[in-house]
Amino acid sequence: MSDFSEELIKSTTEDDQGERCELSGTGMHFPWLQKHIETVATGGKKEKDFAQTTSACLSFIQEALLKHQWQQAAEYMHSYLQVLEDSDSCKRQAAPEIIWKLGSEILYYHPKSNVEAFNTFADRMKNIGVMNYLKISLQHALYLLHHGMLEDANRNLSQAETWRYGEKSSSQEVLINLIQAYKGLLQYYAWSKKKMELSQLDKDDYAYNTASQNMLDHSWKTSVNLGALIQIPGVWDPFVKGYVEMLEFYGDQDGAREVLTNYAYDEKFPSNPNAHIYLYNFLKREKAPREKLISVLKILYQIVPSHKLMLEFHRLLRKSEKEEHHKLGLEVLFGVLDFAGCTKNITAWKYLAKYLRQTLMGSHLAWVQEEWSSRKNWWPGFHFSYFWAKSDWKEDKALACEKALVAGVLSGKGTWLCFLFI
Amino acid sequence: MDFPGSLRPTVFMTGPLGLSDVPDMSFMCSWRDALTLPESLPQNSENGVPHVAKGLLWEPETPGPLPLLPPGPDPWHPGLTAQDLLFRGGHPFQKQPRVVLDVTEQLSRFLWDHGDIAFAPLGKLMLENFKLEGARSRSKKKTVVSVKRLLQDLDGHQPWGCPWAYLSYRQRRFSILGGPILGKSVANLLGDLLHEELVTRWEQLLLDDAFTGGALAWVPGKTPRVGQLVYPAGSTLDKLYFQEVSLTPGGNPQVLRDPGHIQLRGPVRQVVTRTVQGESLLAVRSDYHCALWKISRQGRPAPLQVLQVEKGATGISLSPHLPGELAVCSRSGAICLWTPQDGLRRVYKDPDTLVFRDPSPWRWADFTAHPRVLTVGDRTGVKIVDTQGPPGCGLLLFRGGAEASCQKGERVLLTQYLGEGSPESLHSTLHLICTQFSLYLVDERLPLVPMLKWNHGLPSAPLLARLLPPPGPGCPRPLLLGGQDGQLQLLHITGEEASTPRLAGPPQSLPSRNDSLSAFPVLEPKSQWRLQERLKAPTIGLAAAIPPSASTPILSLFQLSAAGDVFHQCLRLQADPGPDSCAPTVSWSPQATACCSQWLKALLEVPPAPPVWAAPTFSHRRLLGCVEQREVEGKVPEGLRAAMAEGRLLQQRDLGSLPTAEPPPAPEPGPDDELSKRLEAAWEGRAAAWWERRQGWSSGPRQQPKRHKRRTQLSSTFSSLSGRLELSDATSPPPSPDPEARPRPPGTPPSQELAQEHWARGVPSERQQTLRDYMAKLPLREDPLEDASAPPSQTSSIRATRSRQRTLQDNTAKPPLQMDTPEGVSVPPSQTSSIWATRSRQRTLQDNTAKPPLQRDTPEGAFVPSSQTSSIQATPSRQQTPVLSGSQRIRKKPRMGF
Repeated sequence: MSDFSEELIKSTTEDDQGERCELSGTGMHFPWLQKHIETVATGGKKEKDFAQTTSACLSFIQEALLKHQWQQAAEYMHSYLQVLEDSDSCKRQAAPEIIWKLGSEILYYHPKSNVEAFNTFADRMKNIGVMNYLKISLQHALYLLHHGMLEDANRNLSQAETWRYGEKSSSQEVLINLIQAYKGLLQYYAWSKKKMELSQLDKDDYAYNTASQNMLDHSWKTSVNLGALIQIPGVWDPFVKGYVEMLEFYGDQDGAREVLTNYAYDEKFPSNPNAHIYLYNFLKREKAPREKLISVLKILYQIVPSHKLMLEFHRLLRKSEKEEHHKLGLEVLFGVLDFAGCTKNITAWKYLAKYLRQTLMGSHLAWVQEEWSSRKNWWPGFHFSYFWAKSDWKEDKALACEKALVAGVLSGKGTWLCFLFI
Repeated sequence: MDFPGSLRPTVFMTGPLGLSDVPDMSFMCSWRDALTLPESLPQNSENGVPHVAKGLLWEPETPGPLPLLPPGPDPWHPGLTAQDLLFRGGHPFQKQPRVVLDVTEQLSRFLWDHGDIAFAPLGKLMLENFKLEGARSRSKKKTVVSVKRLLQDLDGHQPWGCPWAYLSYRQRRFSILGGPILGKSVANLLGDLLHEELVTRWEQLLLDDAFTGGALAWVPGKTPRVGQLVYPAGSTLDKLYFQEVSLTPGGNPQVLRDPGHIQLRGPVRQVVTRTVQGESLLAVRSDYHCALWKISRQGRPAPLQVLQVEKGATGISLSPHLPGELAVCSRSGAICLWTPQDGLRRVYKDPDTLVFRDPSPWRWADFTAHPRVLTVGDRTGVKIVDTQGPPGCGLLLFRGGAEASCQKGERVLLTQYLGEGSPESLHSTLHLICTQFSLYLVDERLPLVPMLKWNHGLPSAPLLARLLPPPGPGCPRPLLLGGQDGQLQLLHITGEEASTPRLAGPPQSLPSRNDSLSAFPVLEPKSQWRLQERLKAPTIGLAAAIPPSASTPILSLFQLSAAGDVFHQCLRLQADPGPDSCAPTVSWSPQATACCSQWLKALLEVPPAPPVWAAPTFSHRRLLGCVEQREVEGKVPEGLRAAMAEGRLLQQRDLGSLPTAEPPPAPEPGPDDELSKRLEAAWEGRAAAWWERRQGWSSGPRQQPKRHKRRTQLSSTFSSLSGRLELSDATSPPPSPDPEARPRPPGTPPSQELAQEHWARGVPSERQQTLRDYMAKLPLREDPLEDASAPPSQTSSIRATRSRQRTLQDNTAKPPLQMDTPEGVSVPPSQTSSIWATRSRQRTLQDNTAKPPLQRDTPEGAFVPSSQTSSIQATPSRQQTPVLSGSQRIRKKPRMGF
């Protein structure tokens, strides 16, 4: 148990090492600083032979991995394990993580390795030191999941969930939450499988009742597991999706809405476009009023103006009665076509051509001018150049026609007529 | 555009760098990426999870890259190393060696080498305290020192670290008088500046960001197989070359014709190329200028625009959307957008860094999926800035902090937009961000949260990156990452528009130029070292092309080194090579080794770079004489003096019309070239045997025959003598201090030989020059002309002799060319500059193995080495002067030197 206490003071020693690599003043660390010093330094405490061999071995392993020489890397790894006996406590503590990273990578790619070997390795590594138990458990479970061994993964996660060491640090807490969430996800998978089976069953069947009872049972467990994690700021798309699906299934619309609203609008979370998309889709399923949908998409429009939902947004705005929405509808279309990835979106061009005509007929020339004024010095080169005219005409005549139409409307007569005559 | 429907779970934490409480979710395993959670597992689990190509490997065709073009004619010097800057002493009490900049040594070296700069202003101030030669003594004050006496006292001391130097009364007085002023003021004034300079140099050594982005570009040509490599070359990298290259189906590139070049006014730091709407554009960044060319379909560049960046440009990028648009960043923190319609426009300006304070003035800008939105980067983060919006506002795309679980001390080194502008390309919203530890892929639609993080572990700064198009349908895209020291990594990036980008297999390392060393023939150590240095030169450019091929995809990789060498490597994609995917070892083909030897031959013909620094020797008496010898007239000395005063290079026009001198005939190695035989023997370790053999041979009965034959031997003995001196450590007993005890050239006592009146008569003409040079080295005679200025201090002259001998030995092929220029010129031997030059020249000669460096003709060649001058003057006057006196001095001479 002696090395446990060592590990707890690890952070301070790490800082000392950090200071060493620091260059005076700038605070930047250079991984290659040591190399420079070694060419000069004559004094100082020399590294022990042991340290020298282990560090050389480590670099051999890394080299072999980068050259995809798994066999060789495995051989070196065999020798590298001696680092666990290092008398330098600092290195000894850092060792398990390095061994796990490299070892798991070797075992993952080695042509002769199998799941059993990986399991044995992971189980061993979990119990060397205490700091890595949760991380390794999680990765081990993911590995099993990847290999389709859901039960084993679940067992692994359950084991890790109950593991505790010392005072719960915040990173430990996040990890435990994460482990629980993955467990919840596994349960969700099982649940959705059952749901599929259920949908194939007859409602009056006896089996239906037991199955639905089973599902209820599952959902309760899952909600406990997933609910905790998605409170923590982060990107939790698969968890949120699963959780919401289950809540919806059991008719907890309010709960689902709360989860999604929180996920989308909580300031502490990164501005994840998916959060808004999930919320929008949920509201759409719920048949929420148009106003509500527009307000959700308005935010998505601010984050990702190039998203494909923007065309849907435009349709909503077009149908709206409000004048400002009509104006926004034009803005949205221009916004979509600003992006390099959307230049060949024929629907957007069609919409724009149609809507431009509509707007101009509605005598809102000012709107068009407003949008066009910031674009008139680069849209011609970006969309209506001779090059694009030619290539569009070759590849997609409909697109070329729509673009030519828009170009004609926007730039007045004559200027881009070349577009039409190619 | 579609956004990935489900992103990978990530904890999002705000905070500073190196926050230890954040669980690093990425965990740095390349296989972790394979573990993306499937959208819905149950349906998917039968046919397995997303396929990871385990055996995805770009296999190199040769163990290392091969030189594509012959080395340039200019010498190259690797520059400063840590050894030049850091304190070399030990710190016995410290556990870890620490970085200590060696200011003391540098300062003392500076004072010693550039005393004129360091002390001249003070000297002027203290002029009344010195009595210069010629000025008759005016005062008897104690505060006046006679310079002549002082220097006389100093003469012979090389005070460099000599604690036992004898101090005369005068010197003592001088040092008491001048000490406080000379010692402190100079050190105080210079110390800080020097320290500052050393810090910058050291920082530059650790990270030289000038070449961020890379200075090598591949401009695709009319057909996919033909293209142009654009790169700078020349000793100062100020010539931009355009080399047409054709890629054969086998992958080997063929150089099509001689490269065209454009001479620029500054070193090229970055070369960027883009083909936008069928138009190929080329942007070049120099230190203070940026330029834009349009490349016609015939491959000819036409200049479009030159921009001047007053504070210094740090980055340039070309728009992938609109032809001709480019973004330039300056050290002042300003980002400018140049468009053909609106011209130059500043779109962003912030002298401070984005996230936290960092002293680096490095800035970077690139384009995004929106043609009017730019990314602005510095060492701490990357921001998205709308050039049409209000100035200064924007959204952070990447933050050096806990959001991306950055380590302590992590800094952004490179950011790059990975989209290509064409709507078909995937990843049109992805940005690459490299730090010294990791590589991040960030989607501009989801700022702050990296989509992919990979710990590249490169042992040098990753300043070069290239994302290539997929080599085949469905193949992952290769992302090349190049470290400054030549390490290369290749990552396989996959992910369609609707899924997150991920690594499609384990990243692989590619051979670096260092790995090519084994393809070169083994050389003697000096050349071997030169070759190694050359191969180790920092990589400053990376370009790659995937030529269309019928069978396996091929990747042609070009790299440019700081020495101006372009190397090429061909890689072949090996997808799923089978269960026992043991990376096959490749070996050098005969063509490859032939190519390398040819290149090496050309390299060795390039003269080595002149040393960055050479200690000057002082001869105080000569220095003093300089003051007196003002009366020498003529245009030449005036030109020299003017050039010296301005500190510029001496040019031909300063010297006026030079009397044309016949170049000395080159010594042809005769049938009986003993020197080479001897060297050959020495190489094989049989030098002693050779000596024995030779001694027996020459002391035998054949000693008598003809005089001139002995004389021929004499000249070669000099060279063999010098060789002998060098070898003394290894094979013979150490040379005794007594010159009499030195092994004498067999059977020919030098005194006897030199005593010959017509010493030169029987000597073959090619040897005469050598001999004359040698004789000139030794102050053989009391030249009346030389009398005015005292003979050079003996130590230095001996040193000169010695190095000269070495030169002779090294210079087997040709005599130094530069002799033709100075020989005719009668430059007073007492010129200070000539004294300064002598020493450095001797060094150069010594290093010079094959040919004299080209630049000799102009600047340096005009400085006449004193030894040579004296030889020139000595030759005509020899008839009148009794030579015997010289012959006696030669015997005394070495006593002091050796």
